Amino acid sequence: MRIKRLHVEIATALTLAAVGALGSTGALELGVSWSESGPMPGYFPFYVGIILIIAATASMAQALFRMRMGSAEMRETFLEPEQTRRVLSFLLPMVVFVIITTFLGTYVGTTLYLFYVAWRNGGYKPLIALLVGIAFSIALYFVFEKAFQVPLHKGPIEEMLGIY
Amino acid sequence: MKAFAIGMTLAASVALTGPAMAFEPTRPVEFVVASGPGGGTDNFARTIQSIITKHKLMDQSMVVLNKGGGSGAEAFLYARKNEGDPNKLYFGTNNAYLLPHVAKLAYSMEDLRPVSALAFDEFLIWVKGDSEYTTPAALIDAAKATPNGVAFAGSQSKDTDETLVALIEQTTGTKFKYLPFNGGGEVGVQLAGGHVAANVNNPNENIGQWQAGAVKPLCVFSDKPMAKSDPVHDGKGWGDIPTCSSAGINIPSYKMPRTVWTAAGTPDEAVTYYSEVLKKVSETPEWAEYIRKTSQTGEYMAGQALQDFIVSSEKNAVGVFEAEGWLVK
Amino acid sequence: MENFELLLGGFGTALTPMHIMVMIVGVLLGLIVGVLPGLGAPNGVSLLIPLTFTMDPVSAIILLASMYWGALFGGSTTSILFNIPGEPSSVATTFDGYPMARSGQSTRALTLAFMSAGLGAFVGIVVITVLSSWAARFALRFGAAEYFAVYFLAFCAFIGMGSASPIKTAVSLSLGLLLSTVGMDTVTGSLRLTFGIEALLSGVSFLVVVIGLFGIGELLATVQDGLKFRGVASRIDPRDVFKTMLELPRYATTLLRSSAVGVWMGITPGGPTAASFMSYGLARQWSKPGEKFGTGRPEGIVAPETADHSAGTCAMLPMLALGVPSSATAAVMMGGLMIWGLTPGPMLFSTQPDFVWGLIASMYIANIVAVVLVLATVPFFAALLRIPFTIIGPMIVAICFVGAYTVANSTSDLWLVLIFGVVGFVFNKLEFPLAPLVLAMVLGGKAESSFHQSMIASDGSLGIFFSNYLVGTIMVLALGLLIIPQSLKFIQYLKSHKNADSAA
Repeated sequence: MRIKRLHVEIATALTLAAVGALGSTGALELGVSWSESGPMPGYFPFYVGIILIIAATASMAQALFRMRMGSAEMRETFLEPEQTRRVLSFLLPMVVFVIITTFLGTYVGTTLYLFYVAWRNGGYKPLIALLVGIAFSIALYFVFEKAFQVPLHKGPIEEMLGIY
Repeated sequence: MKAFAIGMTLAASVALTGPAMAFEPTRPVEFVVASGPGGGTDNFARTIQSIITKHKLMDQSMVVLNKGGGSGAEAFLYARKNEGDPNKLYFGTNNAYLLPHVAKLAYSMEDLRPVSALAFDEFLIWVKGDSEYTTPAALIDAAKATPNGVAFAGSQSKDTDETLVALIEQTTGTKFKYLPFNGGGEVGVQLAGGHVAANVNNPNENIGQWQAGAVKPLCVFSDKPMAKSDPVHDGKGWGDIPTCSSAGINIPSYKMPRTVWTAAGTPDEAVTYYSEVLKKVSETPEWAEYIRKTSQTGEYMAGQALQDFIVSSEKNAVGVFEAEGWLVK
Repeated sequence: MENFELLLGGFGTALTPMHIMVMIVGVLLGLIVGVLPGLGAPNGVSLLIPLTFTMDPVSAIILLASMYWGALFGGSTTSILFNIPGEPSSVATTFDGYPMARSGQSTRALTLAFMSAGLGAFVGIVVITVLSSWAARFALRFGAAEYFAVYFLAFCAFIGMGSASPIKTAVSLSLGLLLSTVGMDTVTGSLRLTFGIEALLSGVSFLVVVIGLFGIGELLATVQDGLKFRGVASRIDPRDVFKTMLELPRYATTLLRSSAVGVWMGITPGGPTAASFMSYGLARQWSKPGEKFGTGRPEGIVAPETADHSAGTCAMLPMLALGVPSSATAAVMMGGLMIWGLTPGPMLFSTQPDFVWGLIASMYIANIVAVVLVLATVPFFAALLRIPFTIIGPMIVAICFVGAYTVANSTSDLWLVLIFGVVGFVFNKLEFPLAPLVLAMVLGGKAESSFHQSMIASDGSLGIFFSNYLVGTIMVLALGLLIIPQSLKFIQYLKSHKNADSAA
């Protein structure tokens, strides 16, 4: 089935309403009333959460209404198959990059990520792609850790090599 | 200079007689600071960093990391995650052992080991320069006449400032209004602008306003007057401020220690090593200069003396928290 | 006139070969930290502080301040070229700067930004020179209620009239406000909406959200139409720089209005980020009809940049004269001041005239140095866009994530960037405006705290917001900015309908 803009509008609105509900329920335990020294800590987040639920619901209603009125915009395909493929080919390596970075550190993550994208998406020779990745990681190391003394996230490999 | 001399003798009395140093940091030492950049704790840590660098007191280099989230709790949670790591030092105040009492946090005192305390920040009662209150007693009387009518400004909520105000209330049987702001500078301006009646700022947070005569000190929460200094305003200096206990507020002493910690599980040798380094820091002329400029009291504490201090300081604060109903279960 | 004599003395102090060198070094370092998201001016300045212990205070403050100016300029560069704000205060520059660059006019966009930034800074410094003592006294009049009024004014000026659907604006705004409440609440000291997650203790960082929404979100939008940048400048011609400079007098009104906004927000506690949003909002409301804002309109670049820099320079005044830093960078510099043995406060101007006026004089020179240096880098940065996308794209992604990590040294922020990247992409496609979300995150927490403080002070009475002329005037102005444009729009709508009816 083709994903229409309407579907995404509804899904987004429902997610946002859920976030609003999460905020409001989280605020409940802090006290949401007005004490003698002004609002209690949960007051503000509680009502903002409620407003978010209302606004998200309204935006869903608006989308459904416009669909009913025959709006062409709502019937548009959200992403063409070709676009979906392109976005995913960019997004998925990014997700893997974050996972690798979390466990193996920034430098390993960055090198592998740059290598993969330049090689698979960019069509560069694997060796050149790998060099790009390594060169960039080394540049990061010198700019952040050496010049500005900002430590980046490191993993077991840096530990082994004795890079702190 | 006198404060410094007292600090020296005290430091000598808690001399650390460890064996020859067996421990050396194996990698750059992380200075984890329980405040944002520019805060009091941040200046404390960076001053120590610069002194260690200048006098080459450590072979390894140092990296400062600011973890000021949740009033500094972020830094101590980081300590919990890095249990036993001897290459990390944590810089804080008394927040290290007081925070877990007032907020639900995933760390406790068991996750930290005290190394040293290097300085104590004083607290004073300040009022506006042209205020009608010229003595602490006048301020207390005004609060008795109109409960909840006299406003104190302070930094943060349920932190040192509000604790002190609560302590004054409990001791004198009054009720003030407490307005929390983001930091000492802001609190000073609120008072200078006349938006509140008083504050309990540390000396260096209000000195600029005092020089201009926009605010004036009423008394200091210490058992003895502060060290003599050059006159700040109108011929009066730090040493001329009466103690609060002599002026009718029976709180003998209220100070905030500037403390250094390691994570729990750090080997004894490492703790000894760092406390030796910090002791040397506290003996440098640069440190004396820092103490003088920030009008703190220099006093080096480590080992058992520090343990005892923490236990009694914690007990006093928890008493106040309990009476105010701030304790979290 | 006394101030001018002091200023001349200050130029004597600042105009030495040594100090000019210090300025150049400072500005260059600032440009680097400004360009890299995550390495902001506060980072850079706090790193330099240990180096300044051995310098005399005048050289030290000139170094730090020059770094700050450099970072402010550098932050705009990435906003315009990659839609990644390098500094929080350059978020508003992305709204029109990036579309203009995308339409092939990156040189023009960068030049417009830098020139108006320089002019804004100049106005700010003039104000400091002329009005220092008056402004410091004025700032003392701001209590909790006045703080709230200033934040409220910034909100109203920006929200007043947007082109997006009101419902979607409300969604975006309330989502931002909700995010701003996560973490520890200053006024009550309670932890809110952390759900026991440690990483949320210090709240959801505004910078992390912005990096995700703008940086990653925009890259995702770019790749859906192919793995290349949209509309890269075909040529980089230094003559474009001069052509754009000649264009500037056309935006004189915008420049003046934005400088005024910046000066006001710099002296009052609003700060540069709020100033740039407010100024952008006002430019959108009051500019002559023309192309829509958000599509690369020149005023949309001039307005936030001018205000950002005039506020940035004016923010030095409350820091020096009152000891209240109105930005993170100013807070770090103040820490430095204390370490050098200078006490910020009303007396600093009379006890340390060499220091203060040396600094003020150096601000004139350093900003000129910064404009020249940054214009010289324009061709270099514009050339970056010509590197194949499959190389530079992932590099930008990596820098975004590295930048987000350095905000709090936390890997969970990497996931936040990813989530907000997708949110940014979807919001863009569904036409949810992102700006209200960001504005709410910047100002939401501060506005709430000052509201709460006012309520404590007044025992819960809303009357405090109209209790004196100052706060009352600001509130009325704010409500006016909120209501008048809407009613005008509504009246126009009614009129056009009537005409349509009578024509029928």
